[in-house]
Amino acid sequence: MSARPRLRLSRRDMVGFATGMVVSFPLLARSDMTKSASRVATAAPPPNAAKLYAWLAVHPDNTATLFTGKVDVGTGAQTALAQIAAEELDFPIDRLSVVMGTTSETVDQGPTYGSLTIRYAGPQIRAAAAAGRAALIKRAAAHFATSADMIEARDGFCTVKGAPHRRIAYGALVAGQRLDVTIGATGRGFAMQVAPHATLKNPKHYRVVGQSIPRKDIPAKVTGAFTYVQDVKLPGMLHGRVVRPYGVHSKLISVDDSAVKQIPGFVQLVRRENFLGVVCETEWGAITAAKILGSVLHPKHPQAYAAKWSNWQGLPAMQALETIVREAPGQEAVVFERGAVDQAIASAQRVLKASFQSPFQMHGSIGPSCAIADVTRERAIFWSGTQMPHQDRHDIAKLLRMNPDQLEIRWVEAAGAYGRNGLDHAVADAAILSQAVGKPVRVQWMRWDEHGWEPKGPPIVQDLEAAIDAAGKVTAWKHHMWVPTLGDTTLIACALIGHPNRVGAIGHGAPAVTYAYDFPNARITGHDEGKVALRTAWLRSPAQFETTFAMEAFIDELAAATQTDPLQFRLDHLKDPRAIAVLRAAAAQYGWQPRPAHAKKPQDGKPAAGRGIAWVNRDDTRVATIADVVVDPATGRIQVTRVVVAQDCGLVINPDGVRNQVEGNVIQSLSRTLHEEVTFDHANVTSRDWVGYPILRFDQVPESIEVVLVNNDPNYPSHGAGEPATCPTAAVLASAVFDATGARLRQLPFRPARVKAALASVANR
Amino acid sequence: MQMTKPIMLTINGQTHPIEADPTSKLLYALRDNLGLHGPKFGCGLSECGACTVLIDGEAVHACVTPLTAAIGHQVTTLEGLSVGGKPNALQQAFIDEQAAQCGYCLNGMIMTAQALITRNPHATRDEIKAALQGNLCRCGTHLRILRAIERITQPQNQTNPSPTGSAPTGATP
Repeated sequence: MSARPRLRLSRRDMVGFATGMVVSFPLLARSDMTKSASRVATAAPPPNAAKLYAWLAVHPDNTATLFTGKVDVGTGAQTALAQIAAEELDFPIDRLSVVMGTTSETVDQGPTYGSLTIRYAGPQIRAAAAAGRAALIKRAAAHFATSADMIEARDGFCTVKGAPHRRIAYGALVAGQRLDVTIGATGRGFAMQVAPHATLKNPKHYRVVGQSIPRKDIPAKVTGAFTYVQDVKLPGMLHGRVVRPYGVHSKLISVDDSAVKQIPGFVQLVRRENFLGVVCETEWGAITAAKILGSVLHPKHPQAYAAKWSNWQGLPAMQALETIVREAPGQEAVVFERGAVDQAIASAQRVLKASFQSPFQMHGSIGPSCAIADVTRERAIFWSGTQMPHQDRHDIAKLLRMNPDQLEIRWVEAAGAYGRNGLDHAVADAAILSQAVGKPVRVQWMRWDEHGWEPKGPPIVQDLEAAIDAAGKVTAWKHHMWVPTLGDTTLIACALIGHPNRVGAIGHGAPAVTYAYDFPNARITGHDEGKVALRTAWLRSPAQFETTFAMEAFIDELAAATQTDPLQFRLDHLKDPRAIAVLRAAAAQYGWQPRPAHAKKPQDGKPAAGRGIAWVNRDDTRVATIADVVVDPATGRIQVTRVVVAQDCGLVINPDGVRNQVEGNVIQSLSRTLHEEVTFDHANVTSRDWVGYPILRFDQVPESIEVVLVNNDPNYPSHGAGEPATCPTAAVLASAVFDATGARLRQLPFRPARVKAALASVANR
Repeated sequence: MQMTKPIMLTINGQTHPIEADPTSKLLYALRDNLGLHGPKFGCGLSECGACTVLIDGEAVHACVTPLTAAIGHQVTTLEGLSVGGKPNALQQAFIDEQAAQCGYCLNGMIMTAQALITRNPHATRDEIKAALQGNLCRCGTHLRILRAIERITQPQNQTNPSPTGSAPTGATP
């Protein structure tokens, strides 16, 4: 099944607007792209959420369109939301297309982040579709001059009960009109209540929700017909590249434009304070010009190219990162407190302590950030793969000093971003360049722009301490974490043009941890900091990947110290039935045999095998992961051979979609655990490509990832699946390496040199 | 950087005259002159494989291939694999295996696998992994990609049906 790549009437075309974007770009054939992308005179605001036409359109050929302010970041949310709508609307899913994100066509349902799309937008769409079904039944009742309870709706047709020949298609009932029905909506974004009076289908009758419906986007993605934002072309479109400062806060001293002016098709250099960009008629021209100006993989020095920068050297030494994070100013916040921790530790027979560190890591999108802007004095239209088109509309309006109603963001899927990478910043870059030249401009970052300037996941430092009694029970638990800001929403372009505070805020760190153990005395404290060294923004499972590493790896240390099986140790200290259920389900699938971790010493340099287990509760989704590893002491290399995951995210809309997400989370978090660390010198990020920032390749992929879905049941509302399975991986590997070798790894990433050093320290003990 | 010149390229079996800077790279001619968006810009450094095309059947990274190196050779892009507008067997295997998340790397995965299959029709998992070692996927779709290619090279080992269909709960190996 694939989306049908042809033009349909939009809501606004049906009521006579001339400018309506019609179908989401990914569904359009290339010829249609250009047609719909012709230069428009005005921008259009989002539709009224209280109207049915804001959510649904039914077309004369009995196809339909779902409109949602959510976007698909490669997770399959488009198909899952379509399933929810098709179910309640009683409409064939292969005739239902989806328009996502475009601000003139969709309601703002909040940004697409935090594994919150199915959880919050799902019920909104469900209610709107149920209201749509009721409205169509009402029309059918009028058409057949009968009562609504005599009408049955199924597969896009209304039929009079007991009279199969009295049947009419939804498309015929709607007859090319927009669905001008008031369904009601209160609140905003995630909290919006849509169609509060709609009657929802009983889940026991679900036929589409819960099925592994093939994803709508995949056929076009494998044939090359799919349009990513990187593929959008507009008539008269020019190509831009940015030239970033040599150092993070270097000042632009001078630009020698003599060489770039010789480039065939050169249009303009755009300089505003420290913002520098170049616009050319061709992409190769823009790349060549940017290179002359200094946009290269490893710039030699701040004055080596046509753009001369000051030699800013204000970043701290990378080796001092732990100290800097510990000493950065911040607010102490107690997340959880029970009993008298300090007293329990002071009087304990046995106390264990450990510190855990994690580095800056990056989102590392395979496709560098890209945006297209068409800015005139009257209006500004953008094509972007942002996770938050509705928010961007307001942010970019502030940047351009325009009214949000003069702006429109047309959402087009980008390469996966896994959190807030450079996509929003590229919109700002394109805005500035297009505004300067008065024509549509496409900006794509070069690889070194992406690696160097995308906002990073922050480094986190954690100290853990626990007391154990003579019976091997934990009597006290102390977890203190130092967390730099996770979410700096200021725009790079704003800072460079000299208005750093015009959009967004630097924000502060937050201790992302769900404490679940049942220890009699416990205290979890976060030290919430502002910006430390590099710009940051939310990276998949923000901070909770790191806090789960520390918490669950330390639990493994306690289990080992008491010679207890690490699964049993957890079960002994947990009451949450859903946590216990995923741990047991993972263990059953794995074939877990109880035994304490072996803590063997490396034998004669031979590869050693081990197993590890850990779990997490991230926003009410529980995940338990078990993995087998082989550690080669000669090379320090860790090979993961088998992974088992049990996940409870409640009712699953699309089981294969969730499995795909779990597999992706596991492999990406293996990469973060084994390889990933952003490097920097005093001027800037130095890991500016895939050589400097290696990620996991095919040779380190596990043989298998087995996924068990627990509590996949309408009694459990749907929770997120896009992030949670990232969290346990680092602790699982740390524990498995201990099981294999007796060495404890407490600092990410577990690169071979670090593994060998840990093995050597065990051998010398 | 030079003025554009007329250049003849043979892409997906057809000859195309284009006007391009002869010092530029093949990727930009394909994407910008010919509107072939299968090959993607990923790194421009021959490090990720997103731009892979076939030249005379060999997988090459178009982002670093000089445009002039393609003159007189047969260039195949992702679009050129389709048969009569339909996915070829390898592309269909990716659909059947639902082997995508964001899909941005898929061009490189499929083109590299296509070249492998041509020279080694029965490639084993280890051989497939070795062939794809230069292709990066950030979403973590690796296992599905391997299974999709094995549908072609190891059809006798296919015991699992398509992952889609109705299978609400349980484990997939």
